[in-house]
Amino acid sequence: MALRDVLMAATIIMFVAAGAIFSRRFWNIYQVMKKSRPTNRSDRLGERLTSTFIQVFAHKRMLKIRYSGVLHLFIFSGFVVLLIDVVGSILQLFVAGFSIGPVLGMIVDIWVCLVLIGVVMAIYQRAVIKPERYHGSDETDGYIILGMITMIVIGIAIHESFYPYAAIPVFGVKSAPIGAMEFLAYGLSHLWATLGWTAPRAASIGYAVGYAMDILVIWIFLAYLPYSKHLHVFLAIPNIFVRKMRPPGELVPSPVPEEGIAIRSFGDLSWKDVMDLYTCTECGRCQAVCPAHAAGQALSPKMIILELREALKKELAGGEPIPLAGGVVSQEELWACTTCGACMEACPVFIEHVPKIVGMRAALLEDGEIDKSAQKVLVGWDRQGNSFGQPLKKRPQWTKGLDVAIKDARREPVDWLWFVGDFASYDPRLQDLTRLVAQLLQRAEVDFGILYDGESNSGNDALRIGEFGLFEALAQKNLAKLEEAQYNMIFTTDPHSLNALKNEYVKYGFDRPVKHYTEAFVDLIEGGKFDLKPLGIRATYHDPCYLGRWNRIFDAPRELIKRVGVDLVEMPRHGENSFCCGAGGGRIWMEEVGIKERPADQRIKEALTLEGVTHFVVACPKDVAMFTAAVASTGNEGRLRVVDVAELLAEAAGLGIPDKLVATR
Amino acid sequence: MRILVLTKSVPDLVEELVLDEDSGELLHDEMTYVPSEWDDHAVEEALLIKEDSNADVTVLAVDTGDVDNMLFTALAKGADRAIKLQGDFDLSTSNRKRAQAIAHYVKENPYDLILSGVQAIDDIDGQIPAMVAGLLGMPHASVVTDVRLDGDRVHFHQEYGGGLQAELASQTPVVLGIQAARKPPRYASIAKVRQMMKSSVLEEVEVAVEEVPELEIRRFFKPVAAGHAEMIDGDAEEVAERIVSILKERNLVRG
Amino acid sequence: MGPILVVAEFTEGELSDTSRELLTKARELAQSLGSEVIAVGFGSHAEHAMANADADRAVAITGLGLDQYLPLTYERTLSQIVSEYHPLLTMVANSTMGLDLGAGVAAAQHMPVIAYCNGLHTDAEDIVAQCQAFAGKLLAEVAVPAGGAVITVLPGSFGSSGTSGHPEVTVMAVDSVPGMDVVKILEPEKGDVDITRADILVSVGRGIGDPENLGLAQELAEAIGGVVSCSRPVVDAGWLPKARQVGKSGQTVKPKLYLALGISGAPEHLQGMKDADLIIAANTDESSSIMEVAHYGTTVDILDLMPALAERLRGE
Ligand SMILES: Cc1cc2nc3c(=O)[nH]c(=O)nc-3n(C[C@H](O)[C@H](O)[C@H](O)COP(=O)(O)OP(=O)(O)OC[C@H]3O[C@@H](n4cnc5c(N)ncnc54)[C@H](O)[C@@H]3O)c2cc1C
Ligand code: SF4
Ligand code: SF4
Repeated sequence: MALRDVLMAATIIMFVAAGAIFSRRFWNIYQVMKKSRPTNRSDRLGERLTSTFIQVFAHKRMLKIRYSGVLHLFIFSGFVVLLIDVVGSILQLFVAGFSIGPVLGMIVDIWVCLVLIGVVMAIYQRAVIKPERYHGSDETDGYIILGMITMIVIGIAIHESFYPYAAIPVFGVKSAPIGAMEFLAYGLSHLWATLGWTAPRAASIGYAVGYAMDILVIWIFLAYLPYSKHLHVFLAIPNIFVRKMRPPGELVPSPVPEEGIAIRSFGDLSWKDVMDLYTCTECGRCQAVCPAHAAGQALSPKMIILELREALKKELAGGEPIPLAGGVVSQEELWACTTCGACMEACPVFIEHVPKIVGMRAALLEDGEIDKSAQKVLVGWDRQGNSFGQPLKKRPQWTKGLDVAIKDARREPVDWLWFVGDFASYDPRLQDLTRLVAQLLQRAEVDFGILYDGESNSGNDALRIGEFGLFEALAQKNLAKLEEAQYNMIFTTDPHSLNALKNEYVKYGFDRPVKHYTEAFVDLIEGGKFDLKPLGIRATYHDPCYLGRWNRIFDAPRELIKRVGVDLVEMPRHGENSFCCGAGGGRIWMEEVGIKERPADQRIKEALTLEGVTHFVVACPKDVAMFTAAVASTGNEGRLRVVDVAELLAEAAGLGIPDKLVATR
Repeated sequence: MRILVLTKSVPDLVEELVLDEDSGELLHDEMTYVPSEWDDHAVEEALLIKEDSNADVTVLAVDTGDVDNMLFTALAKGADRAIKLQGDFDLSTSNRKRAQAIAHYVKENPYDLILSGVQAIDDIDGQIPAMVAGLLGMPHASVVTDVRLDGDRVHFHQEYGGGLQAELASQTPVVLGIQAARKPPRYASIAKVRQMMKSSVLEEVEVAVEEVPELEIRRFFKPVAAGHAEMIDGDAEEVAERIVSILKERNLVRG
Repeated sequence: MGPILVVAEFTEGELSDTSRELLTKARELAQSLGSEVIAVGFGSHAEHAMANADADRAVAITGLGLDQYLPLTYERTLSQIVSEYHPLLTMVANSTMGLDLGAGVAAAQHMPVIAYCNGLHTDAEDIVAQCQAFAGKLLAEVAVPAGGAVITVLPGSFGSSGTSGHPEVTVMAVDSVPGMDVVKILEPEKGDVDITRADILVSVGRGIGDPENLGLAQELAEAIGGVVSCSRPVVDAGWLPKARQVGKSGQTVKPKLYLALGISGAPEHLQGMKDADLIIAANTDESSSIMEVAHYGTTVDILDLMPALAERLRGE
């Protein structure tokens, strides 16, 4: 048989074999997805398309880590460009005399070089830089893939460069010599000539080897992919396309599954969750930003995905199913999560970690397993509607110290309804601050009111602990009271309440406008309601997860800070990349197991690296508690003061404020 | 092995206790009631025994009008059956009367092991498990932890304070007042309790109770509240002196 | 009028402090009622220990195995004695034994029981007991029925006069009742202390200043028979293990005495200890929040107070 026939036969046979392996694998995955829970991912198609484009071709998230992003862009774009080569090379084999032409040929050559540079950078990253985020990833797989990619691109250059010499012996056609535009093939073909490898036999071998390295390895690659993390080559783009487009802060979209949100087995996952598992690239970007991981706890969002994927693979291979919550993923991992969402923000392929974690928490909770302090809080919410173990009646007690009484929105109509929240209402350290907010509103002559003891905890944290039933009960209680009240807008002190009111209560038909107090205050400043005198301090601002990442409110607090004449210096991690204080998702009530360094302490240290910054500004009552304690526990009182934005505003507005809250001392 | 757990609800101490200041009477209907904390431990211990040995766990409450949720919660946690004793009972029914009702029920419906919280916050007229045992002439022990079955005998620990404990073994039937379960009581999710309400029923048993010795509680009143610490003045020596005498008054000094 | 029966308990072969208190109170009541006091004690040391008790008569119950507390045997025996002597009052301490015997004997003897008593006096017609209810949030005034009652008394309620007497001691031999027996005595567990079980906690906060000063706290704890616990910053600094931390993210404790030394009283800390029976706080800042939950407070420097207190306690 002639060499060409052999190559043709090998191309076809291997393609069929690889295709079969590949399809079978996909079929299996498809079957799992088919049996999973539904989720609607075809809303807002236009936006889906454009944003997919930005994420895929502009590598928006990938480039957050510059080095990796660039090398990946080289390799990824190489895959696209090399498709030209695949088509060209196969056609060349099957249609004698076919050529893609010098221009495309040059493009292919450029990308062969870019891919090789990318590969070298990748190897350097894995072998020398060794980022911590790879810890736990399958490194061998990484190298195998890099090896194959190297073989493929080198193969391209080899068979192209031998082609002019092999055209007659293999294809029986004459070929024009390679032009200088196809610089790589051009250079190599000259090298072969110098080495004297241009005789028919040598050239044929050279061509065949190159072709095998290129096309045949591509087929092997195809068959191998579905068994490796590089399945993302196929799944990443679809996964980005079907990502969540509903408001980020909505954890449980409507309709809520009849059987609840608990995830016990793979059947309780949505099809997108299953797709997430196979799409994960093991890049560890989520692990690198996870506060629980940084604190030294057992949790890594990446490992959760990988553990689930491994378990699913085993189950598909006929293994006994293992319970997901507490089995495949340990309780320690699940309870360590602060639901800060940093992982989801970082993931280049838009994997949704938090709903899976919360779903598995819900499964643990249904079996009665939960941190005992958090259990007390759940019971407290159920009985008294607050996390402080305090009577319901005491919720409005903070209003006692005010000169002007606050309207009861249940009794008389108000313009703004203030949803105060547990911490602002009950924490004795924060009550001064809460009163300050009230005084600011009074100064601005806002017609506002509160629900008094009609308010209950919003349920945001209960939901994130996994207790959906309790969340629902709390939501219903609040909604009933809100129904009684007449108001034009709601505003909250606490970002967690904001999130629930804005994103989670929609399931029950609630759709009134909700703002955070930073937004409301900016409106008032714009409306000229305050006479502000610049404070002249240098401060940094911490974005609370439930204000920033989950509700995309980044500007209002910054605007407020600037308006009161504060010189704002950003921490390295700010805005959407903000680093959680460690309190969210119910963590504030749980025992600190396995914590080597508290996230809040790390954050304070981050702030201390900023030159001349004396104030740490927060916009969440829980943050005041968390960071005040962190400043103390890291021994930095005197160097850094934790202040709430409202304190700054009150001082700039010349309000009479309690001594201990004066920021500019 | 059939285990019976006696449970009751008590006023929620997180909320204010409501008192008619003039008469010194508790206004039961104006207070919120929650399961007694020690009973929660008794339920937990029973469920742990069940997990070890396939015992059958029944929870019981005297129907004082507010016990359904408490019983469904116990079912949600894993109890097999729940029983409500019905008769002339309400929130003000004395412990003694409740104990008598339970004793009547148990006489007709024997169990091997009866657990209950060792005490409750409102049992000035006696702790229910001890009274039930006394009325039935059954052996019993209070301040018990770590209950395990060993053949037809029940092994358990009894605590005596100061870290001192003994392991005891008893024949059945026996009544034990649980101080703390081996593990903190498990959580029953709201959804699960709701599901129980839909899918299971509480067995209602009618009991008649004869006259029992009742206490004449003249009045309840609030102790004079401090609000702020009483400050002890003087130098370290003087303060130490005063502290020692405070401790002595309260029997907190050894020897 | 029936006698007043006091069930005595012994520590190291002598009448316990609480039993002395009960006897003192019983004597006082007996005098005003014109009745007599009978002490009842179990075990081989009972006869000797009650020889000088402030009682008119004493019954020492002996028998094989009775040196060890046996709930069933003790209860049956006491029940029998009560039915024989028809006491007006049967007083027991609210100890484990008291919790067993009080309600149990009362129910078996068709008598009422008055529990958690911390005061007893006679008024115009009646004997009136004061009882603690609802975890100390309320007190109740209970009239002792004319027919008598069993009363369980909270230790530390009365104080003892220190008076001794010469009761006529009857020794009564009984067999232990089969059905419930002691398998073994369990030694307190070794390893790091469990602060949730300690009756007395000497708790230190950042006011301790330096880890070297922990020695003072430890000495004080030894002198007072307690255990050292702390606030979170002390754990954070690595000065004490996590197991010693009191508060929201540590342990919730309810000791008989909580000495808060150099602790400011942040809400997270208070959450873990505010239900202690007695809280004494030392903090140089009188306005610190700990003073709002403490029963007694002082502003002396803890570095002076700890050794002064330890010395006094040791010197006793
Ligand atoms: C989520 C979360 C959970 C937390 N969990 C806990 C917890 O479980 N337990 C806990 O304790 N904290 C906890 N904290 C921390 C808490 O907020 C406080 O930071 C901490 O309790 C303060 O400890 P401290 O009172 O020892 O220190 P400080 O607040 O610094 O108080 C030291 C006190 O000592 C006094 N003092 C100083 N020197 C002397 C002296 N020589 N003599 C007498 N007095 C002196 C000072 O006046 C001061 O009042 C938590 C915080 C958060 C945010
Ligand atoms: S939500 Fe935050 S804490 Fe939870 S896994 Fe993701 S990054 Fe980690
Ligand atoms: S989940 Fe996303 S960010 Fe995390 S390793 Fe996988 S692909 Fe990377």
